[in-house]
Amino acid sequence: MLKIIIPTIMLMPLTWLSKKNMIWINTTTYSLLISLISLSLLNQPNNNSLNFSLMFFSDPLSAPLLVLTTWLLPLMLMASQHHLSKEPLIRKKLYITMLAMLQTFLIMTFTATELISFYILFEATLVPTLIIITRWGNQTERLNAGLYFLFYTLVGSLPLLVALISIQSLTGSLHFLLIQYWNQALPDSWSNIFLWLACMMAFMVKMPLYGLHLWLPKAHVEAPIAGSMVLAAILLKLGGYGMLRITMMLNPQTNFMAYPFLMLSLWGMIMTSSICLRQTDLKSLIAYSSVSHMALVIVAVLIQTPWSYMGATALMIAHGLTSSMLFCLANSNYERTHSRTMILARGLQTLLPLMAAWWLLASLTNLALPPSINLIGELFVVMSSFSWSNITIILMGANITITALYSLYMLITTQRGKYTHHINSIKPSFTRENALMALHMTPLLLLSLNPKIILGFTY
Amino acid sequence: MNMFSSLMLASLSVLTLPIMSSILNTHKNSTYPHHVKNIISYAFITSLVPTMMFIHSGQETIISNWHWMTIQTLKLSLSFKLDYFSMIFVPVALFVTWSIMEFSLWYMHSDPYITRFFKYLLTFLITMMILVTANNLFQLFIGWEGVGIMSFLLIGWWYGRTDANTAALQAILYNRIGDIGFIMAMAWFLFNTNTWDLQQIFMLDPNLTNLPLLGLLLAATGKSAQFGLHPWLPSAMEGPTPVSALLHSSTMVVAGVFLLIRFHPLMENNKTIQSLTLCLGAITTLFTAICALTQNDIKKIIAFSTSSQLGLMIVTIGINQPYLAFLHICTHAFFKAMLFMCSGSIIHSLNDEQDIRKMGGLFNAMPFTTTSLIIGSLALTGMPFLTGFYSKDLIIETANTSYTNAWALLMTLIATSLTAVYSTRIIFFALLGQPRFLPLTTINENNPFLINSIKRLLIGSIFAGFFISNNIYPTTIPEMTMPIYMKLTALTVTILGFTLALELSLITHNLKLEHPTNMFKFSNLLGYYPTIMHRLPPLANLSMSQKSASLLLDSIWLENILPKSISQFQMKTSILISTQKGQIKLYFLSFLITLTLSMLLFNLHE
Repeated sequence: MLKIIIPTIMLMPLTWLSKKNMIWINTTTYSLLISLISLSLLNQPNNNSLNFSLMFFSDPLSAPLLVLTTWLLPLMLMASQHHLSKEPLIRKKLYITMLAMLQTFLIMTFTATELISFYILFEATLVPTLIIITRWGNQTERLNAGLYFLFYTLVGSLPLLVALISIQSLTGSLHFLLIQYWNQALPDSWSNIFLWLACMMAFMVKMPLYGLHLWLPKAHVEAPIAGSMVLAAILLKLGGYGMLRITMMLNPQTNFMAYPFLMLSLWGMIMTSSICLRQTDLKSLIAYSSVSHMALVIVAVLIQTPWSYMGATALMIAHGLTSSMLFCLANSNYERTHSRTMILARGLQTLLPLMAAWWLLASLTNLALPPSINLIGELFVVMSSFSWSNITIILMGANITITALYSLYMLITTQRGKYTHHINSIKPSFTRENALMALHMTPLLLLSLNPKIILGFTY
Repeated sequence: MNMFSSLMLASLSVLTLPIMSSILNTHKNSTYPHHVKNIISYAFITSLVPTMMFIHSGQETIISNWHWMTIQTLKLSLSFKLDYFSMIFVPVALFVTWSIMEFSLWYMHSDPYITRFFKYLLTFLITMMILVTANNLFQLFIGWEGVGIMSFLLIGWWYGRTDANTAALQAILYNRIGDIGFIMAMAWFLFNTNTWDLQQIFMLDPNLTNLPLLGLLLAATGKSAQFGLHPWLPSAMEGPTPVSALLHSSTMVVAGVFLLIRFHPLMENNKTIQSLTLCLGAITTLFTAICALTQNDIKKIIAFSTSSQLGLMIVTIGINQPYLAFLHICTHAFFKAMLFMCSGSIIHSLNDEQDIRKMGGLFNAMPFTTTSLIIGSLALTGMPFLTGFYSKDLIIETANTSYTNAWALLMTLIATSLTAVYSTRIIFFALLGQPRFLPLTTINENNPFLINSIKRLLIGSIFAGFFISNNIYPTTIPEMTMPIYMKLTALTVTILGFTLALELSLITHNLKLEHPTNMFKFSNLLGYYPTIMHRLPPLANLSMSQKSASLLLDSIWLENILPKSISQFQMKTSILISTQKGQIKLYFLSFLITLTLSMLLFNLHE
């Protein structure tokens, strides 16, 4: 695992020692190479995990998320170039350093073998993200957004620390690999209910669960493009990853504790999708759509069947790529019209036909068109929730319909219709932008050929 | 082992060639549409061979090609089902598409994006082929959603028009509602039979199939525009005419009926679902026929007529005759596609005029189109020995002699009669009488692309029914003998419809203009259905999402209660507790006063 972590750390000196005109090229190439190295982790020859050391391991659940993390760094670098072109050199370097630092923490979080080190790294990712949001965001509201982001996550996760220490003293180990075999049923008591809540809330806030999701639209909207991308693609998935890991040791409490959260997620999924229907702000729409998709993941994790775990994992990867691509597209609109308001960008298909094709593909994957991996994720979640309770199909079906509606509403509003006069003089799309979209789309398409590798540990 | 499956696969895979070549950019843009058209004709000719072999031997085949993945106990692989339905439908669809492609060469020739148009049509055709040949539910779902999305793209082809975009979104919305049913059926089959393969599902023959069949019926309702989810089909006429001819008459909209035919082995034992299907079909066929009566847009009339015929197919499934429904799918494809092409020919010649009141007398100017339109309309109404007769007459006969719901049968009979009425109306207003279009329009129908494509379907509309019905072997045998009045019912009601419509249309010349009656308004405003359903529920839904989801819950409750109230609370208490109030002026003033006072006091002390 060090062969991924150390190169990622070395990205920082690389940034600072590069010549002025080489900083983007060097870091992008180098991080792309790192992501190619990490691809080998997808090959999980035996059913357990690949243990690299006492500190780090990877298994079929963490490997796809890890690859997604490393894959996203070059994409973030490519996406931010225009946004930072007017900044002085030193700030560019600082920005890249922050991204590399975030990447390092994320890699270590996904591969940590120990819950306490997982917790520390989980918290550590907040720091670079906070800096990215509050330093490089566009509006003054970014400070408020940063505050929300930090406080929600911290308030959610501090009880987790207490809970972890308590579990440590109870069982003597917090090692993921040991927990699998050391699994004891928690006695049925009030304190254990709180233990369950403490363990789950940290990740529920991160996911985010409906009701605790307010930080997400704010942070997404105010963050610069790389911040939005990494938030949507990976930071939310930390919550899902943590939940999948920690539910193992929380039985049998999950069986009855899950109900209120299942209800809340199912309800919240409809609510947030409905909010999407009324959004005028493009980035906010994508952010709310993330909340709605993540609610599906929460449902899947809480149902706790092999199918639902597969669905959750597949949906996380699929949504990571799709939402990140949507944010990139929103950003390319923003750089041209200087507004996030959708109606100001209408009729762009006439002027930027290739970009319209990317928009179409991104919207179609967002609404889970078969045979994309988004569909596989959603279908598995729907299947498992149907077998859990037949009635959920009504809510799931409503959500599927609304998802299709707002995805296409977004597509039609930004791309179709008559174009307005103020976009007459916009720049054509850059090769960089098209490459960026292609690099998002290719993995999505290729993964649908062989979805096995992203179905997690229950496959 | 014969070449049966290889030839079939060859015919399907040859369709992907133009897509590949467009990716590799090997073809010049100017010839690309011709290339696509040729490829489809090759595919059609290739597919004829396995179809002939199938008709000769009756050997059903399942091909499993590529193992996609195995999830626990569920194996998913790419597999094709080459049974009666797919083997007959594939050549029919290819034949119709071939003609429509040729027609589009003429109709869309001035469009700058004609290449993209052909790519869309071809992609649609491929998804349709996936749909009909699929052997498992997942593959079927790929085709199912694929045709939905392609219909979205093609309806919204003229993306600058708001109406086109709305219609496209409407189509997706109604289809998605149907998809809920499809997904539910998938979940149910997975849960209860642990497989998505059709033959395994039928072999296991699960009990209590109400729920999945309801799901499938909902899916068919959405895709085939049955009552309740029907308004998208007439709205879809915003798309270019070739799109209406291909998607919204002959292929995509019959997918729902096709799905029900596929699942017939489960349906034939479930009487509840059958009568539900029957009633749904009967309502649809009558309601849409009534709507067609008073429309003035030629494409809208044909669209409603399509909807009505789809209702008739659903009725046929309801009376447990899937083979007849399938026969009607095939025959309907020929004449309905041709009717759309004829209307396209008229619309194009009259400078995009779609209103039948502004046509008239076209039988002089456009003899060929007139001939085809009349033959198509006669075939549609079930004129003996034209294509429509072989399926429609049989359906009505079987319905009449069966012991099912008499109400539904009566509705169907009335709708059959109304078919003749609106057909007469098109013929009367568009073709006969005096010209009412602008005198300076240049009418020219002598383009080989137009003539050949319509001619091909014209031959199909005359003979196809005979050929296909000769090769059908129904599993549930229709009634062989019946009283002569029953045999003649279909014909009688049709002729009745014709005469009445003609008489009424002639009389209208001499009547004085009156205010429209309530019945006219009901029919002309499509039964008030769009007015009600497209206003109230969306308004309620959107205002709910704005007011309750966004404002009330998100902005007020969640934001004010959690973060804002906490910060407010902290702020207030910190202000209350701290002794330092930030009143600098006062502090300094008091400081100054004390200082001066003490200075003064000290000085005075001396």
